[in-house]
Amino acid sequence: MAIKMALAGNPNSGKTTLFNALTGAGQYTGNWPGVTVEKKEGKWKARKDVTIVDLPGIYSLSPYTLEEVITRNYLLSERPDVILNIIDGTNLERNLYLTTQILELGIPVLVAVNRMDLVEKSKDRIQMDQLGELLGCEAVPISAQKGTGVLEAAEKAVALAQKQTSFALPYAFDERVERAIASVGERLGSDIPAERKRFFAIKLLERDDKIVEQIQTLPDVSDAIEALERTFDDDAESIITNERYACIASVLKSCYVKNETNRLTVSDKIDRIVTNRLLALPIFAAVMFLVYYVSVTTVGGWATDWVNDGLFGEGFHFFGYEVPGIPVIAERALQAVRCADWMQGLVIDGIIAGVGAVLGFVPQMLTLFACLGFLEACGYMARIAFIMDRIFRRFGLSGKSFIPMLIGTGCSVPGIMASRTIEQDRDRKMTIMTTTFIPCGAKLPVIAMIAGAFFDNSGWVACSAFFVGIAAVVCSGILLKKTKAFAGEAAPFVMELPAYHMPTAGALLQSMWERGFSFIKKAGTVILLSAVALWFLQGFGWVDGGFALLEEGQAEYSVLAAIGGILAPLFSPLGWGDWNMAVAALTGLIAKENVVATFGVLSGYAEVAENGVEIWSVLAAGMTAAAAYSFLVFNLLCAPCFAAMGAIRREMNNRNWFWFAIGYQTALAYAASFCVYQFGTFAATGTFGGGTAAAILVTAAFLYLLFRPDLELKRVYGKKKLGINI
Amino acid sequence: MPLSMVKKGESNKIVKVGGKEEVRRFLEKLGFVAGSPVTVVSENAGNIIVNIKDARIAIGRDMANKILV
Repeated sequence: MAIKMALAGNPNSGKTTLFNALTGAGQYTGNWPGVTVEKKEGKWKARKDVTIVDLPGIYSLSPYTLEEVITRNYLLSERPDVILNIIDGTNLERNLYLTTQILELGIPVLVAVNRMDLVEKSKDRIQMDQLGELLGCEAVPISAQKGTGVLEAAEKAVALAQKQTSFALPYAFDERVERAIASVGERLGSDIPAERKRFFAIKLLERDDKIVEQIQTLPDVSDAIEALERTFDDDAESIITNERYACIASVLKSCYVKNETNRLTVSDKIDRIVTNRLLALPIFAAVMFLVYYVSVTTVGGWATDWVNDGLFGEGFHFFGYEVPGIPVIAERALQAVRCADWMQGLVIDGIIAGVGAVLGFVPQMLTLFACLGFLEACGYMARIAFIMDRIFRRFGLSGKSFIPMLIGTGCSVPGIMASRTIEQDRDRKMTIMTTTFIPCGAKLPVIAMIAGAFFDNSGWVACSAFFVGIAAVVCSGILLKKTKAFAGEAAPFVMELPAYHMPTAGALLQSMWERGFSFIKKAGTVILLSAVALWFLQGFGWVDGGFALLEEGQAEYSVLAAIGGILAPLFSPLGWGDWNMAVAALTGLIAKENVVATFGVLSGYAEVAENGVEIWSVLAAGMTAAAAYSFLVFNLLCAPCFAAMGAIRREMNNRNWFWFAIGYQTALAYAASFCVYQFGTFAATGTFGGGTAAAILVTAAFLYLLFRPDLELKRVYGKKKLGINI
Repeated sequence: MPLSMVKKGESNKIVKVGGKEEVRRFLEKLGFVAGSPVTVVSENAGNIIVNIKDARIAIGRDMANKILV
């Protein structure tokens, strides 16, 4: 018999760790609430007929966030055979709140008390048998991270699923509340099975408007709600919440002894320092500096140099032996088999140059992912949201928007996905639109190329790129908040902070590898294909009235030049109206690493380092510094790569919003690089032309949008005086 | 007294949670119900971290003003 087992529990209670332990899957875990944003399925290693579903963490079965909706809909409509409810043993009371709701679903439940190792360490005592008895289901101790008790829990859950016995709740709410629930339950139609009547009755009493869709014949229960609210002088949902907590308190009284001696935990002590009013921002800045220093300059930098100069370059010395690099080996091999010239060109100048330019970047990416993974796993990520909230709030964003952006420094795709933890729809949409402004890992090579070719490798180019990204986020926040669609305060900041813990090396390597691997996969697929396509497009063209393979120096006749030529005039106001650059910007839409790879293929260098050091002179000859910086700004801000656009589309879940996001990003990119080029040229040459005037107009319009009085705010708070504590 | 004005490390009992219905409900689910003991762990420009029911919850200043203890 095929069995479906659902893992449900509070955010950050260890569901995904348990899921990985049972299925052997490498799902991504982190120590901040909301890591899992989609349900994931896997087969139990020990029994392939058991499907395990990892659900996003939730605090209750009411629909407050997207994750709660996903989880609730799954439990209600898919009806798993058994629910494995994971609760955090170090936080029993709060975790049991969800349990009291899950028990009402009429599905067999096994309660697994996680983090037992920590519970024992702090000398708290939980009597499992009694806890299970008082809840009306079985309770087992586990430690998902250490792997203890995990198999026993899964086996017990499967046994429960096979038995499918119904059970009665051993506890009850206040008599008057129970009476109201019973009376609403009687009014429910026969489409609701008896064991689920309690769940639906309570939801109706709570005025849950989303549950209405699940009920065919909807009874009128307003009289019951009113009567209840009059009796308790409170609203119905709060009454029931209070009842649940009252029941939990009485359950815990007889089975849980907390060791009261050590009130201030280690996490609290760390929090006193890292979230301290004075130290919080300097500590955060130092941590971020360290992350980038380690991944870009030291460890990642060394490894990247080795890959570029050695593996994808001339070769390297290994204990005195000379080992040739891949391009050298490939060239020798192809010459040895007397391969056709064009084939050699395709392999060496097309594939190895294009893909190598991207693969050379992998060590830096892996180091960055490892650092970000560590920040997430140890629990600091959630504190960053807290620290940044007071700053972000001024721009109409919540501190929670900072987590997507920080993850976005690695790659925008997981960054965009992480925006799901933001409850308010418009805050989330704004975060999705602005996350890609932060330079992701793939944009680093572009930055490095421009810095090297035009600015003497100066460090401030990379710095300024981040600054441009942050400025774009901040300005967009202010500007969009003043439009009708985004008007209104950001939702109040409420977020659970996990306890700090040292991540295991395995989990860290896993998260690093999983994210890094998608980069490598991309190099082998999308970038390989586009390098091949680019090579053909630039290698063939119309010469002397016929379509033929081009000789050296005939690049301007190529198909690619023709395509680029059509697009180029569009970019000439930005200073880079050359077909090469237009093509590079275009291929950047497929993947940003492609920008450098494209230059590699176009300039015909077999080997282009990740920062394109070989083509610097070619580039520098063709453009002014102002144009180069404008090119950089455009690539930083414009519509991101295909993968990120796909993520935006999925998360927006609405075609109009998707196109609005892409359109806004591209328009902002175009306007910003136009101004950069025009003002830069004016500063360098001193000639005031039509372009300069236009740039002044664009800047003025932008400043107006940024500083205009907030009409929407006035409309919403029309009668209240502005400026006084709204 | 609003939670935002409570001294660090002092344990207080929650009297009432105000604010918009949606957020109030969310806070109730996190354990902010009348009678629950709550301790402020850290404070940063009005934003606070509190300990409630063995969990650490970060709350923005606007919200902390609306929780009475």
